Amino acid sequence: MIIRIVHLIVVCLFVAAAIHVYQIKFDSTVEAERLAKIRAEIKRERNAIAALRSEWARLDTPARIQDLAERYTKLKQADAIQYEDLGRLPERPPQIVPMDASDPIAVIIENAEGGGDSDITTGSVPNGGAR
Amino acid sequence: MNRDAETASRTNGSPQPPWHRRIVQGLLYGSGVDRDKKAKARLGLAMVAFAAVYLVIGARLVLYAVAQDAHVARRAVSGDRVATSRPDILDRNGEILASDVMTPSLFAEPRRIIDADEASELLTAVIPDLDEPDVRERLSSKRGFVWLKREISAKQQKEVHDLGLPGVGFLTENKRVYPNGNEASHVVGHVNVDNQGIAGIEKWLDGRGLADLHRAGFASDNNQRPIELALDLRVQHAMHDELLAARAKFKAIAAAGLVLDVRTGEIVSMVSVPDYDSNNPKQALDPTRINRLTTGVYEMGSTFKALTIGMGLDSGKMNLSTTFDARMPLRYGRFHISDYHAQNRVLSIPEIFTYSSNIGAARVALRVGVEEHRAFLKKMGQLDRLRTELPESAEPIVPRRWGELNTVTIAFGHGLSVAPLQAVMGVAALMNGGLLIPPTFLKRSEKEARAIAKRVVKPETSMQMRYLMRLNAEKGSASKVDVKGYYVGGKTGTAEKVINGRYSKTRLLTDFMAVLPSDNPRYLLLIMLDEPQGLPETHNFATAGWNAAPTAAKVIARIAPLLGIEPRFDLPPADRQILASAKVTR
Repeated sequence: MIIRIVHLIVVCLFVAAAIHVYQIKFDSTVEAERLAKIRAEIKRERNAIAALRSEWARLDTPARIQDLAERYTKLKQADAIQYEDLGRLPERPPQIVPMDASDPIAVIIENAEGGGDSDITTGSVPNGGAR
Repeated sequence: MNRDAETASRTNGSPQPPWHRRIVQGLLYGSGVDRDKKAKARLGLAMVAFAAVYLVIGARLVLYAVAQDAHVARRAVSGDRVATSRPDILDRNGEILASDVMTPSLFAEPRRIIDADEASELLTAVIPDLDEPDVRERLSSKRGFVWLKREISAKQQKEVHDLGLPGVGFLTENKRVYPNGNEASHVVGHVNVDNQGIAGIEKWLDGRGLADLHRAGFASDNNQRPIELALDLRVQHAMHDELLAARAKFKAIAAAGLVLDVRTGEIVSMVSVPDYDSNNPKQALDPTRINRLTTGVYEMGSTFKALTIGMGLDSGKMNLSTTFDARMPLRYGRFHISDYHAQNRVLSIPEIFTYSSNIGAARVALRVGVEEHRAFLKKMGQLDRLRTELPESAEPIVPRRWGELNTVTIAFGHGLSVAPLQAVMGVAALMNGGLLIPPTFLKRSEKEARAIAKRVVKPETSMQMRYLMRLNAEKGSASKVDVKGYYVGGKTGTAEKVINGRYSKTRLLTDFMAVLPSDNPRYLLLIMLDEPQGLPETHNFATAGWNAAPTAAKVIARIAPLLGIEPRFDLPPADRQILASAKVTR
């Protein structure tokens, strides 16, 4: 009698183990599929990144930039004397707006109108200095 | 003992078998064998055998369950990579020089094609550059697989897909693209349609194991580590741009330029025009488009005097104030060596260098000695083939018998043809403190360079050579290259080309070597023009001082800021800045 009960329990355990193993297997298959999908997606994204990077590299070639710069901007090649070390910059210029001005904004506007900033030449290339 | 067992069974009451069975049994099993025991043993054996078989089956099932994914994944990968992938090639700042892009290719399985005529008509309608009779022939063949067109556009792929033809399909392949086209083609090289390296660094990549990986099918991962070159794309572009301009201006057959980091031996820029587009490798077959800096050998002309004078100063047989008689042209049999800028007086070594005196250079070499001259050039790597990462290289043309006359002509750069890169390596050793560093196209640190460097001249000699180079830019033949702010030094070279076995007076090869900055050199620049023509603004001169040197000046003005050389102004002349400061530090 005892033997029969033991048999029954063992059979039940077997069935339970089989179901459990099947479940694990099923889950792992699902996970594996998900993994494969993500891998494929990563690959696709990598390829897309590679394509975009090479496209960007093509757009970013110095030859193309130079062509565009020559056509659409007035930029010139920088002359050696236009490079300066930060440490050798002159002292900061005096403040435009005096500390005790009653209406600082008005002072700025006045200064701007008086100065006329459109013709200010920046940089310090002497005439004929740059090509 | 068996008898005892038999008697025991008899006492148990089991009946004695009849006599005839006992005889048969005795014949079959031998008398006195207990069949019950034997049967039990056999049963046990059978159980063990079956258990083993089931165990094997079970283990195999487990293996299948574990290994299945990998198997499927591999099949999926091999389905869409035919031309194998290659690592990206980047410049020293990480800009892409070569990269892989996935492109679809069109194939067909003729056995599955239902109507070859219809299919070929439809396909040629969508992809006009397909040849219809050819496509029809391929589709009606009995083969299992034919390529119809490699590398079609995404739009074409969609259109072909919409045709819904059975037996026609796509495979995505890696296609190599070179965003910069011509600019770095001689360094980077190119690949064939199966993505195998044919030239340049691409070929080198295959040579160092990538080809084996391809064959084994392992190189299909996009994740390969990119290769970083020493090249600086911005410098490369500036050089390319200026060389194209110079070649057009001086109507030269070819122009070439090189920038070498003298401390590490890295080649920061190498251009040889006319060049070709790496995306269109057919052009590379044109022999006029070769890379003149590594595959061509040339008589370098007066730039070789730098090596001669360096040798002289290093030999200890002379110093900067030693004088040589340049009053008379040298005569050697039917040869007659004279100066282009003849001074007809006694010249000191700095004067020989700045006036580029052939006579003086020859006398310097003769005083050092013929054998020593040869040994020195051998030590400087001028007599052996220089090998770099690039598969293309040329053997220098060295005279078979090296006599006094050879020494005389080689002293001023005739009679010995070397690859220009080789000459640059030699001069760089004179500039960087006396270390000969083999040039490389790959990134290299100063420490690595020192590990493989070979001391060839004394540091003092190098210092004196830097002084001479700078002096030449201040008051010698290289005065047109003195770009303000960078303390450039340089040496011109003009070689007459050999045409039909004789030196031609009109067909010249001009070159220029510039070092910047001269007091603490970082880069050596070579500009070379093949058969430049005289122009009205150069007073119809076609020597290096009039074409190669101004080109070098333009290149330096553009590349020095890119290379991070800080401009300095109001520096004292060479004798104080280089010679005097060296004395103080010593």
